[in-house]
Parts: sequence; structure tokens; C-alpha cells
Amino acid sequence: MTARPYPWKRPRGWWLRNPRYLSFQLREAGGVVSALYGLILLNMLLQLRAGESAYTAFLDTMRTPPMLYVNLVLFGLVVFHAVSWFMLIGKAQPIRFTEKPIPWKSAFAVNLVLWLGVSGAVVYLIFGGL
Amino acid sequence: MADRDVVFRVKRYRPEKDSKPSYQRYRIPYRDDMVVLDGLNYIKDTMDPTLTFRWSCRMGICGSCGANVNGQPKLTCGTYIRDVHRGVVTVDPLTNFPIIKDLVVDFDDFLNKLASVKPYIVREDWGDLTKEYVQYPEDIEAYKQQSMCINCMLCYAACPVVGANPHFVGPAAAALALRYIRDSRDEGADARLERLNTKSGVWECTFVGECSVVCPKDVDPAGALQTLKFLATMRHMKRLLMPKMASR
Repeated sequence: MTARPYPWKRPRGWWLRNPRYLSFQLREAGGVVSALYGLILLNMLLQLRAGESAYTAFLDTMRTPPMLYVNLVLFGLVVFHAVSWFMLIGKAQPIRFTEKPIPWKSAFAVNLVLWLGVSGAVVYLIFGGL
Repeated sequence: MADRDVVFRVKRYRPEKDSKPSYQRYRIPYRDDMVVLDGLNYIKDTMDPTLTFRWSCRMGICGSCGANVNGQPKLTCGTYIRDVHRGVVTVDPLTNFPIIKDLVVDFDDFLNKLASVKPYIVREDWGDLTKEYVQYPEDIEAYKQQSMCINCMLCYAACPVVGANPHFVGPAAAALALRYIRDSRDEGADARLERLNTKSGVWECTFVGECSVVCPKDVDPAGALQTLKFLATMRHMKRLLMPKMASR
């Protein structure tokens, strides 16, 4: 008798069974919300083009508590996305600039410093120095 | 001195009578120097000879004894009971594979994927076979890490992409492809990258990284997959921009 193998089925909630799977899912979700936030910014440009009243109405909407909470969640996920990618950059080095691979913690630190530096420069440009 | 007991909760599937897998519990004595494989062998030798599992070398070389221990893919010969049990050790067959019987899973799909990346040295002309192909230490160092793969399949069990898309070539096959691509004696890089630059190839990998976490030999398949993405992109661009040179 040839018995049939029992097929494997991925269980629901598989990503909750391992903290690293959860971290991966959050990183992916961060990528999706980055795109969503891009749409919000595009809409802002559309409202700006439509005129002052449309733009003011858009800003008023963005200042409402629900939108502030949405922005807070989006910001958190985008930060998680960026930081978790920085942690991975050092773990995959297809091009080696040095004889030995750069330790992932060093690659992470360099990326983090560069990111904070660029973010600081953008804030300075927008707000004229805080 | 076996002065303590531990409960082994082992997934059973007997295809001749079970419609689906279920757990069976065994209480066994254990010592600090016993690994999970010792526990399984104790059960088989003294309690239940029908329990079925694979093993061979008992020293982390053959890659036969992989199973999920408390939810984590492990070589049972290298996992001490004292390190994993909190009264109960749960042993499941490796995830992402069909179960043949108890802890024995069907590897045929993996073997087909492995064959598709030509895991051997490819040369158009072998030349004079009485002469050796000299390699310097740095030549060996280039592929040594990937050459440590023992085909234990823990990386496939850990990879959620394999679970979502069974067609994905997977971590170990990719790591072994890179092992031969990096071998200075090999000339099969183009054929392998052609295979890997497909819908079921390296681009399915979303870099979860769990394959490298569970690898008992530090092969780093996740890193190998990212390197292969780079090599596949370079090959594609070369063919696009310099078709004459690429065809040579």
C-alpha cells in the first residue's frame, strides 16, 4: 500500500509564533504605509494647487485627533521599517569594500547616523533652524 | 544518572490509520548529557518501536535528524534536552514539508530544486584530467561558508516564504548555487543565474532572515540569497547593455 503524505498547511497567525516573523511582518507593513503616506503627500500637493481654501481645509483635516493618531501610527511603522532595514544592510553585503565583511553593527550605526543627519538637515531647511 | 523525567510530546502520523497528525506523550528519564535524539531513541527502543524518525551520524554532519523542537527547527542530535525543556519537549516534523510518517517528511521537492541549480562543478572542457586544478587559500575561502551546508532542511522549515510559495527555490539550494558560482574551477554561473533569475528564484526571497538564524552550520543562506540577487541583476544588465559580450 502506498500511503499519501499528509500535506503541510500554513497555520493562520503563523507570524505570531515567532518574534522575528512578527518583526518581518511589521517591516513589510511599514513599507506599505510608506506608500500610503506618499499618497497623503501627493494629495497635499493637489490641494495646494487647488487654492488656499482647499489647502487650509486639508491642513485642518490633518490636525484633527483621528488624523494625528493615524500619523503617529504611520510614523512609528515607517521608523520601524527604516531601522529594521538598517539592521539587515550589514547582514547582506554582496559588494565588499573591505577584505573582511563590515560587522553588521557598524553598518547599522553608519546608516543610522547618516539617516539622522539627513533628517536633521531636512528639518533645518523646512523650519529655518529650530 | 537518570534522576529526572521529562515528557516528550511527539507528533504522530500513521498514514495507514490516521486521517490527520496528532500528539502522543511519553514520559522518559533523562540526564544532562542527553540530546533530543537520545530521547526519541529511548522511546523507540524501550516504549514504542513504531515511532518513526530519521537519523544517522549523531554528530551534526549528516543533516538527517532535523525536526521542530518546541517550535524551532533544530538538529535533534545537537539539541540538549536540558536546554529546551520546561517539563515538556514538543517534537514536530519540519514545517513546510508533507509528512510521510511521524517525524519523517517528504524531501523530493527540495531535491528537485537542488538539482535545478546544478550543485556540482560545471565545465565546458575538463582538459587534462591528470592535472589538478590548483586553488589558493583565498579561492577556497570564497565558497567555504556555503560549502558547509549539510542539506538538513532547517532553513526551509524556518522560511515563511517557502510556506507561502512552495515553488520558491529556497535557501539551501540558493546557498549551494552560490557555493559553486564562487568556485574558481566552475563555469556554470550563467546557467545557475538564469535559473535563479526566475519567478520561483531568488526574487521570491523577502529577506526574513530566519534561515540564517536556524542554520546549524552558519552557512548564512539569507546573505547568499541577497548576493545572488545582485549577481542576477548584474547578469541581466550586462545582457541588456552589452548583448554581444554577454553571449560570449
